[in-house]
Amino acid sequence: MPDVDFVSLTAYAKQFSGLTPEYEGLLQEIGPQVKPLLMEVTESFYGVLQSIDKTKPFIDGKVESLKKTHLHWMETMFTGPYDEKYTAWMYKVGDVHVKVRLPVEFMAGGITIIGNTLHPIIAGLCGTDHGRCVKLASAINAMLGFSLMVMQESYQASSLAAELEKFLAITGMSRTLFDNLARAYK
Amino acid sequence: MRADLLNSILNELNGTSADIEASGVISTDGLMMASQLPAGMDEDRVGAMSAAMLSLGDRTAQELARGHLEQVLVKGNKGYVLMTHAGSEAVVTVLAKPNAKLGLIFLDVKRAAEQISKLV
Repeated sequence: MPDVDFVSLTAYAKQFSGLTPEYEGLLQEIGPQVKPLLMEVTESFYGVLQSIDKTKPFIDGKVESLKKTHLHWMETMFTGPYDEKYTAWMYKVGDVHVKVRLPVEFMAGGITIIGNTLHPIIAGLCGTDHGRCVKLASAINAMLGFSLMVMQESYQASSLAAELEKFLAITGMSRTLFDNLARAYK
Repeated sequence: MRADLLNSILNELNGTSADIEASGVISTDGLMMASQLPAGMDEDRVGAMSAAMLSLGDRTAQELARGHLEQVLVKGNKGYVLMTHAGSEAVVTVLAKPNAKLGLIFLDVKRAAEQISKLV
């Protein structure tokens, strides 16, 4: 993985996604209530992925182990902390997606599935307090957007790195020569 | 010291034919080691581009079963670029006029490349 300033990336992604300290607090506050219901989200997530022809081959034979990781991630979304360590984790996820050659749309698609499942759960917990419901929905959107943004950032970086490695292998150029070439045309 | 020796080889090479307009010795990583280039020509670009072309030439010769690469020749309407291995660590690049007598230049460059390969 390249050198990444995760502190800056965390701040940037939070600014973009709107994950404010207030929303972070809300997510943590509702965490104990949501936690017992998260398995439902994970089950639904993999249920949808198994029903899509293009995604199914990527998860066949490893769904149970993937569910454990997914559930752990879901729980972390409601416990925090939402710091550079979390960002580094999401960054790693994007990198792994490239290494296992998952198409880029799987990340945005996956986040959408999670959002679609989480929102009704949250609505059920809010009761008639619509104001709180709207805030919680926004907090979840911000959290999911934050995570997606970091994953896509590393996906892009890793994709470019993988393409460059392929280019260097095909042309026989050393990395140093490529860097010198790039520097000459800065 | 080494740069002086390389420059003197390039000087001599440029003097062998009026058709040679410029020359340089470049590491296989694309860094210019010595050069006799016209003013305004970017050393870094000439160096990196020459090494990249030679690297691609190496791969092409290998992939298309042409054996060990000796040189890469680029012809444009304003002249030639000739890139030749000088040992395994360096490249000699020569820029020549459009009507240059290539046979003679090939011989002179080959001789210069042999001398350079002993220095790098």
